[in-house]
Amino acid sequence: MKAIVRIILLVSFLPYVLLNLKAFGFFGGLGANPVEAITHDTGIWGIRFLILTLALTPLYHYSKQEVLRKLPKPIGLVAFFYVLNHFLCYAIIDQAGDLGVIVIDIIETPYLIVGWAGFLCLLAVGLASFNSFQEWFNKNRSTISGLVYTAAILGVWHFYWQEKVVSYEAVLDSVMMILLILWRLRISTEKSPS
Amino acid sequence: MSSIRKSKQVIKSSEITPESVYLNRRSVLQTIGTLSTGLAINLFVNDSINANENQLTFSPNNKYSTTESLNSYEDITTYNNFYEFGMQKSDPYNYGSQFEPKPWSVKVSGEANKTGVFDLDDLIDINALEERIYRLRCVEAWSMVIPWVGIPLASIIKKLQPKLNAKYVAFETVYRPKQMPGQRRPALDWPYIEGLTMQEAMHPLTIIAVGLYGKELLNQNGAPMRLVVPWKYGFKSIKSINKIHFQSKKPLTSWNISAPNEYGFLANVNPEVDHPRWSQARERRIGAGFFGTKQPTLMFNGYAEDVANLYSGISLRRNF
Repeated sequence: MKAIVRIILLVSFLPYVLLNLKAFGFFGGLGANPVEAITHDTGIWGIRFLILTLALTPLYHYSKQEVLRKLPKPIGLVAFFYVLNHFLCYAIIDQAGDLGVIVIDIIETPYLIVGWAGFLCLLAVGLASFNSFQEWFNKNRSTISGLVYTAAILGVWHFYWQEKVVSYEAVLDSVMMILLILWRLRISTEKSPS
Repeated sequence: MSSIRKSKQVIKSSEITPESVYLNRRSVLQTIGTLSTGLAINLFVNDSINANENQLTFSPNNKYSTTESLNSYEDITTYNNFYEFGMQKSDPYNYGSQFEPKPWSVKVSGEANKTGVFDLDDLIDINALEERIYRLRCVEAWSMVIPWVGIPLASIIKKLQPKLNAKYVAFETVYRPKQMPGQRRPALDWPYIEGLTMQEAMHPLTIIAVGLYGKELLNQNGAPMRLVVPWKYGFKSIKSINKIHFQSKKPLTSWNISAPNEYGFLANVNPEVDHPRWSQARERRIGAGFFGTKQPTLMFNGYAEDVANLYSGISLRRNF
């Protein structure tokens, strides 16, 4: 079981490895706007892994594959890893680390407020998953899951809102989010009061 | 036939690409990549800059050219928006090859004395080509410096003899979904349409470009003829034009139809009027390097001295 989880984890870092190889000129490089390429790539993979994290529970519910029950935390952390890279690329490279500029940019740009809020949600979950908070983390599963849902909703919204014309991926992500939320609501109404 | 004849070029713009453009971090990274991956990237760059095909004869226009560092031919031809070929900025480069810009004819209609179907050569005097090095500012807050080759739109309009009630010029991009995969998706209301006031169209800065870097336009950049209006956001500079219509009322424009509160008819570059969803105060100059900082966006993209008088007395906040 552990081996399978490890392999899945390794695979989930492939997009990051590919991005780094592109930064060094392999696979056609990052193109004329490397900062944008890195920001978009890390952001899109962050959202994909967030949605995957949320999809694991219903997938387990129907398939009863034990391994799926072990995955939400590691895959959630992978999502956090991509989102953190996305945020750092924006803050340190795109905005040159200038805090004053970043604050003004976030205030002036509505989709950045949404993205920033989603990032804070994930940051809280990420910090709570450290070993020293392990007990708290395990006791507050519903808070954690609520934060991840909120982060995913804000993330998809952030992605959707910055596009000039809606892309297939944004539509697909939105549809999956809605389905996941509906499933979650149905399950919680079925179970409650438990 | 309406092709632009091949001929020897006076000055090779590719030869005056400043060193600084090549010394940015991305290029350094690419060089490392080239060393390790073999010659693939190197071959591509050399091939696209040095090919002697489709050279144009032109004279430089220094009056209207900036002395800023040019973007590389590779950047200009691999990174741009042309939704007819797809929504990614690499799509025009990747999916533009099926498009056939020759032969080319343009239908002229509306309030003008000379209307009808014209060959490209009838509209564009191949002996009057000029090079204009212009800044291009995209509404997405990135920018480039591009050495266009073309002629003033005014010279074409004069030929067509618009009537007094022709207050606007409307343009249309060719509609060929078989050759333009992006047109098979309803990203925008096809065909793409744009327009200018007659004053804007007659302004000496406004050109119809048929080339860049001294060579005929590639498909991804709007072959065989496109508008270039350097003080407006890039989407105004409509590509692969096959219809020109003179009219008395304001033409509809594709992006305005798509999102009326975000993209106006004038679409002048203006750092003081933000896009509803993002700031227009600064821009990323493509090729400025991986750690290059954004630069302030200039009023009318730095052409205020030449064009501000066109808009005196008009609220640029309301007419964005």
